[in-house]
Amino acid sequence: MVCFNRVITFRNNYDNDATTFSPTGRIFQVEYAAEATKQGSAAVGLVSKTHVVLVALKRNAEELGSYQKKVIMIDDHLGVALAGLAPDARVLSNYLRQQAMSSKMVFNRPLSVSRAVYSIADKAQENTQSAGGRPYGVGLLVAGVDVTGPHLYEFQPSGSVLEYVGAAIGARSQASRTFLERKFEDFPNATREQLIEYGLIALRDTLAQDKELNSKNTTVAVVSKNEKFTIYDDENVQQWLDKLDSLANSRSRGRQDDDDDDDEDDDDDEAAAEQAETTATATSGDAPTTTQDRAPDAMDLEE
Amino acid sequence: MTSIGTGYDLSNSIFSPDGRNFQVEYASKAVENAGTSLGIRTKDGIVLATEKIITSKLLVPNKNKRIQTIDRHVGVVYSGLIPDGRHFVNRGRDEAESFRSLYKEPIGIPGLLDRLGYYVQAYTCYNSVRPFGINAIVGGIDDDGPHLYMVEPSGVYWGYYAAAAGKGRQTAKAELEKLDLTTISTRDAVKEAARIIYLAHEDNKDKEFELELTWISKEETNGLHKFVPKDLLEEAIKYAEEEGDDDGSSDSSSDEEMDD
Amino acid sequence: MNHNPFHWGRPSDSTYGPYNQQIAHASNVNPMARQQQQSDFPTMHTQRPMMTGTSVLAIKYQDGIVIAADNMGSYGSLMKLDNVERLLKVGQDTIVGISGDLSDLQAIQRILNDLEIDESYDAGDDEDALAAGLKANHVHEYLTRIMYNRRSKMDPLWNACIVAGFDDEGKSFLKYVDLLGVAFASPTLATGFGAHLAIPLLRQRVDSEADVKKLTKADAIQLIKDCMKVLFYRDARSLDKYSMAVLSESDQKVEFHKDVKVEDMKWAFAKGIKGYGMPQL
Repeated sequence: MVCFNRVITFRNNYDNDATTFSPTGRIFQVEYAAEATKQGSAAVGLVSKTHVVLVALKRNAEELGSYQKKVIMIDDHLGVALAGLAPDARVLSNYLRQQAMSSKMVFNRPLSVSRAVYSIADKAQENTQSAGGRPYGVGLLVAGVDVTGPHLYEFQPSGSVLEYVGAAIGARSQASRTFLERKFEDFPNATREQLIEYGLIALRDTLAQDKELNSKNTTVAVVSKNEKFTIYDDENVQQWLDKLDSLANSRSRGRQDDDDDDDEDDDDDEAAAEQAETTATATSGDAPTTTQDRAPDAMDLEE
Repeated sequence: MTSIGTGYDLSNSIFSPDGRNFQVEYASKAVENAGTSLGIRTKDGIVLATEKIITSKLLVPNKNKRIQTIDRHVGVVYSGLIPDGRHFVNRGRDEAESFRSLYKEPIGIPGLLDRLGYYVQAYTCYNSVRPFGINAIVGGIDDDGPHLYMVEPSGVYWGYYAAAAGKGRQTAKAELEKLDLTTISTRDAVKEAARIIYLAHEDNKDKEFELELTWISKEETNGLHKFVPKDLLEEAIKYAEEEGDDDGSSDSSSDEEMDD
Repeated sequence: MNHNPFHWGRPSDSTYGPYNQQIAHASNVNPMARQQQQSDFPTMHTQRPMMTGTSVLAIKYQDGIVIAADNMGSYGSLMKLDNVERLLKVGQDTIVGISGDLSDLQAIQRILNDLEIDESYDAGDDEDALAAGLKANHVHEYLTRIMYNRRSKMDPLWNACIVAGFDDEGKSFLKYVDLLGVAFASPTLATGFGAHLAIPLLRQRVDSEADVKKLTKADAIQLIKDCMKVLFYRDARSLDKYSMAVLSESDQKVEFHKDVKVEDMKWAFAKGIKGYGMPQL
């Protein structure tokens, strides 16, 4: 794992449980849990003034296996996309569903998105401060609409929660973020259709060169004030893929960002192979957009 | 770091031969590199401020609030592990509510801190938990007037005229000491808090930040913990930027030269 | 047939074991004390209200709601307090009028205060979010859950409440809930004695939602004032000083009037009333 390289001296000392601080004040078990979210396939979320969109890439473990569900509906106004350990996501979304039901039962109102996401954040924090459990190994994008409008939150195993205009989690999601950072100023006024297109383009940027989005591996979900949380899968998602194809047939990538390597699951052979491939083709530039900025590091965002 | 390799720092609740609890010290390390927070106690109120580091331009501006309310009359700002801070605040809210349900009146600030200090201390006593990775600055007004405290990962808490935590705490403390905290008005303290956060940010210059400011004052907010109104926030930021330019004009120019 | 149940016999000890005498000797004394002394009564909660407040009245008009409740606290027939505020403001624009037991009113007040504080945590600095978060319909649902829950524990909060405010869409919201957890809505509502004395008068003007459109704000206020006067004449547990809140849908505002007095009363007839209390000298 990447983290081992950074702290090679202390290996096996401070990273055995979530209740031990390293001498620099870090909690490695929590950081490793965050790594688990980067092993999962990518999910992308975007918000306009009216809509929230989630798009996600589904994986199948083997050719004859089914594709892993990536988007879970919580309530009519709320849903999540996951990256990482799917069973952990099911536990958290089950909890969210209980919260949503309770809000309807007790107050006759839908659960607010912030209250929803902080409820699981506080639950996740407990697992980072006491023994007898492990941190959750999943990241979530929580999308929903409430009286204050549409919202998109990113949830991390550390119990950290932040509200974004556009966010991406999972394998190679840095490529998506790069796209989102370039386009996010257009999101607020984007239509429902445009927002989904932006989402699909961002998701496509996470793909290896020989992979493409198809109706089997792509999930789209939308929610707005007047539209219940709707998930498009399989034949239903084709309409959106068609839109994407009419927009630009070939991939918008002429480069591959090598800045994102500390996000990457280097030990994942497939991903490493994919990256090697894409790096090799970086100069050939088969995409229409050729000159693009290199992806800035997420933590270092000087203009 | 004489602690490393001794084995006494691998578990919480363990004393080293010279009587230290290393896990608590390591928890403090989580605070030392975090965004700067500060609190000021004035004649009739409290000001809390924090430097919220912006890690991505995709974050929604002015959301993701960091300063929280424990009760109507009590505010908290913390530096360190944010989820730990929320845990701390939730506990404070529970304590405030349980006090109110028992005594039918709002909890006093020293009493609240007594309970919170107790809670944080308990997280240094067992190897099944780890200490809180935060320094929390808690301010509020009760019948005895304004109070300001800072709780540390060890569970220790002291009362302050002004307190600072996080990366820029040294700069902030030096500036806070220059203020006349016995006479300053809460409104002026808001502006000074903004200026000091901007100044402390110099230690963290490569990252963008958002300033968050709250206050409690009998006169201005009727004793309630509130975010400062937009116009005052803008005024404070303007003051902070102007003062910053005046103070460090020579510094910033030399910085530019170095950059070039 | 012998109709005395004590002669019907009971399941035989040999089949069902001996009768558990503790069932008959259930006590309302706490277990520690019970060891010394057994009570003859099963556990008891509130059986009747003690300090009480009388009617709450409310009516919808074309642009909102008028709601009123007097300031009296009665101890049986004793007029014990004349400064009880029974209209509670919850959140930005909801009024809850409460009649019945006053200590339970205070319990509800605390519950709603806790709710308000809890609500403010989420909103941060966003006043609009705060206002949008807790509307009258949410407060009413919450109160209904509390009242039903308590009655299901056979320990009710001895009150009847009227919730007036605006719902999520900003429309006027007026609904009732009482100690049984019974909840219903009507354009005219009254609790306690008011349900007998004031409702007929209110319904003369507003019998259905359609009539609400015809009633002006001034008329609604006058109507409530007239009803408060009738109640003061006829209800011996009422007071001529009351609070009144006027809610307007168009600006989503609440006017709160305190210490309103019943006016233009004529008590000349009282001289002629005979047969009650001490002989008039």
